[in-house]
Amino acid sequence: MAIIRRAPLVAAVAAAALLALTACSQGGASTSAATSTSAATATAPLPSPFNGAPVKVALVRQSGAGDFFEAWGAGATAQAKAANIDLTVTDARNDNAKQASDLEQAIAAKPDAIIVDHGQTDTLQPLITEAIAAKIPVVTYDLALTDATGVITTSQSDASMAQGVLDQLVSDVGDGAKVGYVSATGFAPLDARAKVWNQVVADHKLDVVFSTGEVTESTATDNIPLVDAALKQNPDVQAIFAPYDEITKGAVQAVIQNNMQSKVKVYGIDISNADLQVMTAAGSPWVATSATDPAAVGAGVVRTLALQLAGQLNATSEQFPAVTITQKFLSDNSVTNVAQLRVAEPKLKLDTTLVADWLPAVSG
Amino acid sequence: MTSAPAATRTSSAGEKTAAFVVKWGFVAVTVALIVFFAITEPSFRTVDNVFGMLKFIAPTAIAGLGVMLAMTVGGIDLSVGASAGFAVSIAAWTMVVANQQGGVAITVVLICGLLIGALNAFLIVVARIPDLLATLTTMFVIVGLKLIIVNGQSISSQMTLSNGETAPGKFTSDFLWLDHGDVGPVPVPVIIFFLITLALWFLLERTRWGRALFAVGTNSEAARLAGIRVQWYRTAAYMGCGLLASIAGLLLAARIGQGDVTAGNSLLLDAVAVALVGVSVLGIGRPNAWGTALGAVLIAVMVTGFTMLGLPYYFQDFGKGIVLLIALLFSFTFSRRRTVVTAGSTTSSS
Repeated sequence: MAIIRRAPLVAAVAAAALLALTACSQGGASTSAATSTSAATATAPLPSPFNGAPVKVALVRQSGAGDFFEAWGAGATAQAKAANIDLTVTDARNDNAKQASDLEQAIAAKPDAIIVDHGQTDTLQPLITEAIAAKIPVVTYDLALTDATGVITTSQSDASMAQGVLDQLVSDVGDGAKVGYVSATGFAPLDARAKVWNQVVADHKLDVVFSTGEVTESTATDNIPLVDAALKQNPDVQAIFAPYDEITKGAVQAVIQNNMQSKVKVYGIDISNADLQVMTAAGSPWVATSATDPAAVGAGVVRTLALQLAGQLNATSEQFPAVTITQKFLSDNSVTNVAQLRVAEPKLKLDTTLVADWLPAVSG
Repeated sequence: MTSAPAATRTSSAGEKTAAFVVKWGFVAVTVALIVFFAITEPSFRTVDNVFGMLKFIAPTAIAGLGVMLAMTVGGIDLSVGASAGFAVSIAAWTMVVANQQGGVAITVVLICGLLIGALNAFLIVVARIPDLLATLTTMFVIVGLKLIIVNGQSISSQMTLSNGETAPGKFTSDFLWLDHGDVGPVPVPVIIFFLITLALWFLLERTRWGRALFAVGTNSEAARLAGIRVQWYRTAAYMGCGLLASIAGLLLAARIGQGDVTAGNSLLLDAVAVALVGVSVLGIGRPNAWGTALGAVLIAVMVTGFTMLGLPYYFQDFGKGIVLLIALLFSFTFSRRRTVVTAGSTTSSS
């Protein structure tokens, strides 16, 4: 039984190998799960079906790991608690087969409703159709469906994230400016942002002097040499659009490395405590970014479901808007972390979106 | 060696208790967990949930049975997760890009599985690379090869190909039946899982080939002297492992419904864990099919039960780690005497 004697080595090598293969980048913003202080209280009693035994809801997630997704889950859980919802959370950890199993088991448990957070269309569509056929209300978040009949779809608007920042870019450098683009293809949010970028480039006749970028296991570091080379080749570039905070950080670093921060502005997307530090550092070229508060969005998805179950939802699709944050706004309000940003920019809390007197926004 | 059998004859009451715990400990833990969850969580004790759990764990269990097979000849296969992932992409490519029927995809995938197993066997048996390193290398090679074949993309129906055209095919309904189908109340993956376990149990415990595999794993030199074609059996074990990993991949592909490039990534650790747990179940002290199956069921029960209790995913990892730790303690610490006796008697009889 040689293998038994070597079991610890086997396990160690297996673990190392697995880590090498599965360590995956955390797509999207990373906002810390700082609890918001102003816990709103309901000013009306809960309507049916929330006024009796807890309403059973299954939350089927593709991934709950990383600051962004942790905060999203915390927001959803806090909102559920406030609305007398018993939320059962499954987390597939980016294993799509596991998420299919989770959803299948959730349907079998016959909850009062199901929330599906992210996932693959081909994998989940048949199961969602099955849930609808079983008369279980379904709310999805950031999940593309081929047949959304009977489903309430919600999403973070990638288009609005890109649009706000690009409007800022155009107003800063003007039509026909020389611009650089740092991003990657094959990632749904980045592809959505790329569409807006292409439109803005066409509308404002921007001169794209370079397009580069990649998403890797260490995106920020790996983009520095790419942008560095592009800057050396195109020293006359005026603005760089880098629509994912890890890439943005790489671009910012490359600009500083070339001592070009006085003439090249960087426009990013996403926000985290680390991002805020980069943006607010003296002479930072990162002048604008776009952000949502993941905790507020997670809570918003649960409110969508609650309104639907109470018969008070009038739409079948909801989009949670992003807020554009400029470097100037941060310095004017002395914002250095996400908690302060929430206070300075209350729009992030989404506390006027999908609320009712019995259902105030509660995300922390 | 000669003192070991004598020692077991004079075993004390304490040792008898230890032997009892070693033999029934895992079964007891599994049953206790099932009873606990069944009482506390009403949705746990439904027939739907029981089959749901077995269905969820079937690919892991089948890959684990592959690892178990490699362990019978004293080896290990770290490429099972990668092989399953390869199978997912190849199945998707065959149906969606090459526009072939589900049966063709299954055939292609199974042949690929055998070839991956043959590659492992070649590296280990002919090139004499240690099994851990050989299968680790294979893992990287086939993960890379998979991404090269599919251009790093997850293959899904209606996708745009590199030449700008839309992919012609889709996952056929007969292929999807592998995951979505039921025979009576029983999901197809559960039936496949059960049949493979039964077949491997029969092969290992009831045939001459099974005894030869264990003889090779216990003492390959003695096996060779006894006239067993050692290299042939090692090759067969790795090819069998590759085949089982690709079957696990077929089930994953049917479940996901697209050529997800990340599929199979999470399979390796669980597969190795259930095979190791299987060794200690029932105090058998060697790789065995039912033990591996029970290890898989224990993991399914834990993951589902913990989720229903509302515990976050990292509790599942912790639980799995504890189970594996206990299994290793059973294999090394508590049952050392038994293992020696088994090894000694096997050596003397062959």
